[in-house]
Amino acid sequence: MADGINIWRNRGFKSLSIAGFIVLIVLTSMAVAATPVSKVICKVETDRAVLPAGDSQNVVLKVTLDAPPTPVHINRPKVNLALVLDQSGSMSGTKIEQAKAAAVEALTRLGVQDVFGVVVYDTNVHTIVPAQNAINLNGIIRTIKQISAGGSTALFGGVSQGAAEIRKNIENDYIHRIILLSDGLANVGPRLPEDLGRLGAALLKENISVTTVGVGVDYNEDLMARLAQRSDGNTYFVESGFDLPRIFAAELGAVLNVVAKQVKVTITLSRDVRPVNIIGREGRIKGRKIELSMNQLYGDQEKYALVEVNLPKSIAGSKIKIAQVEVRYENPFNKREEISLGSSYASFSSDLEKVAESSNIDVIREYQLNLNALAQEKAIQLSDQGKNSEAVKKLKQSAAKLEKLGRLYKDKALLKEAEAVVDQAELIEEKGMSKKSRKVLRTKSYQMKNQQMAQ
Amino acid sequence: MANKRTIIFFWALLLVPTLIMAGVAAKLLSHEQERMNRSAFLALTQRADAIARSIHLTIEAVEENLTQSLLKIDPKNLKPILLKWEQTNPLVRNVFIFQRGNKLAYPVRGMASTLEERLFIARYEALFSGNVLFETIDSASERERPEGNLQYGSVKNKKIQSARDQLVKLSKVARQSQQADQIMADSEPNAPIYSLIQAFKPQSGWLPWFSQNRLYILIWAKPLQNGPVYGLELELMTLLSRLVVDFPVLENDMAALVLMDGNQNYIHQSGNLNLKANVKPTATVAVSRLLPHWQIGVFKDERGLGTTDGFFILSIILVAIFIVAIFTGGILITRMTLQNIKDARQKTSFVSSVSHELKTPLTSIRMYAELLLSGRVKDAVKKETYLSVIVGESERLTRLINNVLDFSKLEQGKKKYQMIHVEVDTFLYQLIETHKIRIKQQGLEIIIHVAEEDFNIKTDRDAIEQVMLNLLDNALKYAGNGQFIKFILQKEEDTILFKICDDGPGIPKSQETMIFEKFHRIDNSLTATQPGSGLGLTIARRILRDLNGDLYIEHMAENGSCFVARVNDQSKRSGQKIRIKNKDKKS
Repeated sequence: MADGINIWRNRGFKSLSIAGFIVLIVLTSMAVAATPVSKVICKVETDRAVLPAGDSQNVVLKVTLDAPPTPVHINRPKVNLALVLDQSGSMSGTKIEQAKAAAVEALTRLGVQDVFGVVVYDTNVHTIVPAQNAINLNGIIRTIKQISAGGSTALFGGVSQGAAEIRKNIENDYIHRIILLSDGLANVGPRLPEDLGRLGAALLKENISVTTVGVGVDYNEDLMARLAQRSDGNTYFVESGFDLPRIFAAELGAVLNVVAKQVKVTITLSRDVRPVNIIGREGRIKGRKIELSMNQLYGDQEKYALVEVNLPKSIAGSKIKIAQVEVRYENPFNKREEISLGSSYASFSSDLEKVAESSNIDVIREYQLNLNALAQEKAIQLSDQGKNSEAVKKLKQSAAKLEKLGRLYKDKALLKEAEAVVDQAELIEEKGMSKKSRKVLRTKSYQMKNQQMAQ
Repeated sequence: MANKRTIIFFWALLLVPTLIMAGVAAKLLSHEQERMNRSAFLALTQRADAIARSIHLTIEAVEENLTQSLLKIDPKNLKPILLKWEQTNPLVRNVFIFQRGNKLAYPVRGMASTLEERLFIARYEALFSGNVLFETIDSASERERPEGNLQYGSVKNKKIQSARDQLVKLSKVARQSQQADQIMADSEPNAPIYSLIQAFKPQSGWLPWFSQNRLYILIWAKPLQNGPVYGLELELMTLLSRLVVDFPVLENDMAALVLMDGNQNYIHQSGNLNLKANVKPTATVAVSRLLPHWQIGVFKDERGLGTTDGFFILSIILVAIFIVAIFTGGILITRMTLQNIKDARQKTSFVSSVSHELKTPLTSIRMYAELLLSGRVKDAVKKETYLSVIVGESERLTRLINNVLDFSKLEQGKKKYQMIHVEVDTFLYQLIETHKIRIKQQGLEIIIHVAEEDFNIKTDRDAIEQVMLNLLDNALKYAGNGQFIKFILQKEEDTILFKICDDGPGIPKSQETMIFEKFHRIDNSLTATQPGSGLGLTIARRILRDLNGDLYIEHMAENGSCFVARVNDQSKRSGQKIRIKNKDKKS
């Protein structure tokens, strides 16, 4: 059974959040300590609470970070936002109009303490609204309305310029974010997903995240997803421009609610427990230590990491500690480093019915969905190599597995996803991998792997 | 015909050289255009060169700072410091520590490394396997380095740091943080290290590395002879991202400066020229030896650099103005000449018809005078008839001469008017009475309509008489086969309308304005049989207009024509005007 243990080093908390408190009690039935302020809660669970005794076996550990809601009485962190808009020729018409509307939408959500800048790019890059406090709204809106489309797509330059605008206030205490909107293939500047990924990784070191929004079916989803992933931003795919204002609103909601930054998760496995694999995330396995990092957690968000470990031989009725998890993060409200701890235990039984009963559907579901995300990526890869039938097969296999587990545990989410994957596979079987299908797969797999909040 | 030829000859004489000049001017313009294009292109190339140099200096400063930072790392804290750089410095992509004995101390092979680290090891396998020694590679920084970084430092006083300043600062931050760490690390005195350094010259290098046809850059250091080789892999995208932001903006639609990597991929474009695929740059400038094969390409539009359209339009306009000027001038000259020729012809015909007009009465007078002189005519009635013919013909002669004289006076504006009170109706009756015989002789019935009005006005009596006589003569001449001649006198406010109408053949509509022109006579069978100078109507209209009246033709319902003379009362209207007009004419 997995226990949630929370230890607070920082005792200087001023108030008590009742909501957080209730959540705590509910989540940690065997709570060791209750504390007066909302913190990130670290839960460690296994796919089955009771494991079959006997030979060594693999189990899936799910390390869940449960972010508290944003404190109502504390001012949210200031936002330093740069919008990077594609104004290449292909954007003309509805798309550019909706993008402008979205930019205005974003602007109106900011307060006077926030910083806002707009960079547009076609063949060249122009800063049309230099980074400034969101005060002179009408002037800025007027400038935004004058954007017109035409030219090539210098995406790299656009993001670079956006970062330069962010950097004007990098020293100050802001949440730094670039929102990149594009509908086309970058044709000026570096354009390989890997290159943009490196740019994203470098930006993350400066605490700048890039959220990418792909419009239409012609953009390079690999590039957009990689850039977002490496910089710990979100990625979206919208088929028409009409969803843009909604996405900008959602995205800004998330940006404004950061409750933990620079999150580092260290999983220390007990003796005799061996690490096997990290599922869906990048991390290091150093001996019995598994290190993972996430940039930030939003208010009320749940992010998790899945790790497969190998347990040693066991005897029925015994109980062992599988792992101790330490989560370190920076609290953006008081700038202090905070630590949450969690640990996981496993008990063994020879009663297989008991084992089956103890299944934790949450862990199984997320594990399966993550495997499905990996299958989707594999399908894209296969299809890119011209092996469409194999891609379809891969997707169908994944769907079958989802469906089987969905039926077994009567889980609607799994069944729904299975259905969606089957539909997707049939579509590809029928018409080949269309641009849209590829984007849907790529974006969904990304959103799954990164537990993107706003979708 | 000779005249026409001369005109065309002179015209061509003007047109040809002008066209040649226009052609030469256009040619000169195009040469000038080409020259400007060349100089613009040269300026562009120089600009590319300046940009390349500035990029080179920046990268050189980065290189210098990074290698110095690496060399100065405290060997005791090597790994934590390098790891901190990797985690916090955007310029650092990967770090490595390569131990003596050809063993890679960090990153370790296997699962303890991230995918990125594993790929990093794979990229540099040749180095990390120990097959190739760092020291043996002729890396870029081992060569002579120009005094570049100092120049760069002078730019740093700007209020807002440029992206390149920030870039250089990034590479320095590494050094600063390292220094801070060094202090914190409570290390041993530097003396032993110093002595070692003296014995062994620290080595370092900037290593451009190609893997799968992509450029990577490794910066390594070996401060101690027996110590490890360590260093970092540069985050090339950070470098580019910062360079791109500071790349100068080129506001030109006809040209572009493009930063290109070793595979000729466009990294950044400045200038709005739309580059098609596979277009070769017109010129290229190598960026820096630190980024091998990277270039700044200078692209220009095939049509030139910018000013083509302006020049072209200007020359077209110039040529057009030339041609239009020549053609209009030519047309004007031709028209004037043709007018002059026409005038000369009319004058000749005028002289001959006036001579004929003068000769006809003179012949009659001479014939009858000779008959009377011979004394052979005894019959008193006959004598009287002859004498009346002589008198009549003399009067006709007088009228003709008066007309000619008046015409020249009117033409020169020397005609003087003497205003007296005239009873126009009485005057009309007298005139009809005087010329009754002439009218009757033509077989025409006289019809008179005089309205019951006061026709007493102030005007020039002689002038009015001349007008009426000319109109009467005209009617008698050209209404020859008609039935009647009608005199109408009406009043319209202060203006008297005197109409003289006939039922003769009338005047064609197309000729209505022409008949008032001097020397004009309608060219038809009727005028051919009648003598005339072509002056009567011209003079009549001129006189009436001088007196603020007018003369025009009124259409008859059936055939025939009706001339209307408007005569104004000078005592009531425009007396002032007349005087001024006369004065003007005198001056």
